Amino acid sequence: MRQFAAALALALAASIVSAGSPPAASGSNVPDIETRRSGLQLAPMPRTAQLYATNCQGCHGEFGSSAAEIPTLAGRVGYFTRIPEGRRYLVQVPNVALNANSDADIAAVLNWLLATYSRAQLAADFQPYTASEVAELRQARIDVVASRRRIVDALLAAGQIPSADTLALPHIVLY
Amino acid sequence: MKPICSGRFDGLIESLSRGAAQLTSRRGFLSQCGLWLVAASSLPLLPVARRAQAGERPVAKPARKFASEFANHAQTNDPTRCNYWRYCASDGYLCACCGGGPHTCPPGTSPSPTSWIGSCINPDDGRTYLIAYRDCCGQDSCGRCACLGQEGDMPSYRPQVNNDIVWCFGASSMVYHCSSAGLVGLAE
Ligand code: HEC
Repeated sequence: MRQFAAALALALAASIVSAGSPPAASGSNVPDIETRRSGLQLAPMPRTAQLYATNCQGCHGEFGSSAAEIPTLAGRVGYFTRIPEGRRYLVQVPNVALNANSDADIAAVLNWLLATYSRAQLAADFQPYTASEVAELRQARIDVVASRRRIVDALLAAGQIPSADTLALPHIVLY
Repeated sequence: MKPICSGRFDGLIESLSRGAAQLTSRRGFLSQCGLWLVAASSLPLLPVARRAQAGERPVAKPARKFASEFANHAQTNDPTRCNYWRYCASDGYLCACCGGGPHTCPPGTSPSPTSWIGSCINPDDGRTYLIAYRDCCGQDSCGRCACLGQEGDMPSYRPQVNNDIVWCFGASSMVYHCSSAGLVGLAE
């Protein structure tokens, strides 16, 4: 009986799906029932990484990609900086333009995002966004779908993306 | 009846057990066993046992003053209670009460790829940590341990800072089961 119970407990434990494990780093141990024993250490996150985590990560994921409903940023967003309208688009996308943070913070998080998840795709002469540039660009309200389609076509025509699939969005059925 | 064992002690035990066998039915014995099993396994669910598990500080500590009211009453040992420190901005049923853990989904459900990020003060070190509230999806609402931590919650015209939304979109199934709270990092 006891053996059976132990086996059952083991099977249950094994079938529990992890919903994301915390990133380990050096720092101080987190006083918590889960981490006290494991000795998990967390170093303070840099401010821009924190801005991304609290403003963007919920939707776009810890590593710049998540659900099909939300465009993947990793390995892709950098392409947009290769033409002027694309560079503007990254600020004017609603979740960026309407974000409650300051212009300087938005510039910082965009620069961080581009450098962290999509450095290889950046324009060769990429200049980081500045607060004043963001301040001006975020005034505009764009039609996201139409703008994006125009930009992707222009990038393709200019030979800036390998194919139309590079920035394609999956077909989504909303329910 | 001829005793099958020798020795005074064995004989005593034998006559006792034979007597017991005649007085009780086998089924009755099984049901007693079952009762004890259930009783034993439900014991840890009682608040008393939780208090014992929490162990380190069952009695009131001097009031601490954090900027957050939640943190002033939070604890770091029992993820099946609403005042577990990571739940400061959690909304919904605790996965830890539904067969999962504070950051693990119960069997048969899967974590939504999207989450809602909040920040909570750990009452033991006074530092602020970023917490990812991730819904576990794929089975009907768990219904146990409903908690409403409203810290940092914003009206729904800003969807990314509203935690009433079911974040199951993107997961293989839209059905909300419970909410988990994983550590993202240390804010400073
Ligand atoms: C509520 C979920 C949500 C949040 C929070 C969010 N986004 Fe988005 N993001 C989207 C969606 C959905 C799109 C697709 C365009 C649209 O529908 O607005 C998108 C598009 C984008 C795009 C354009 C990508 C492309 O391929 O067209 C960029 C860049 C972007 N987001 C950056 C950010 C940044 C930076 C933040 C944090 C300041 C952020 N997003 C926060 C959901 C979100």
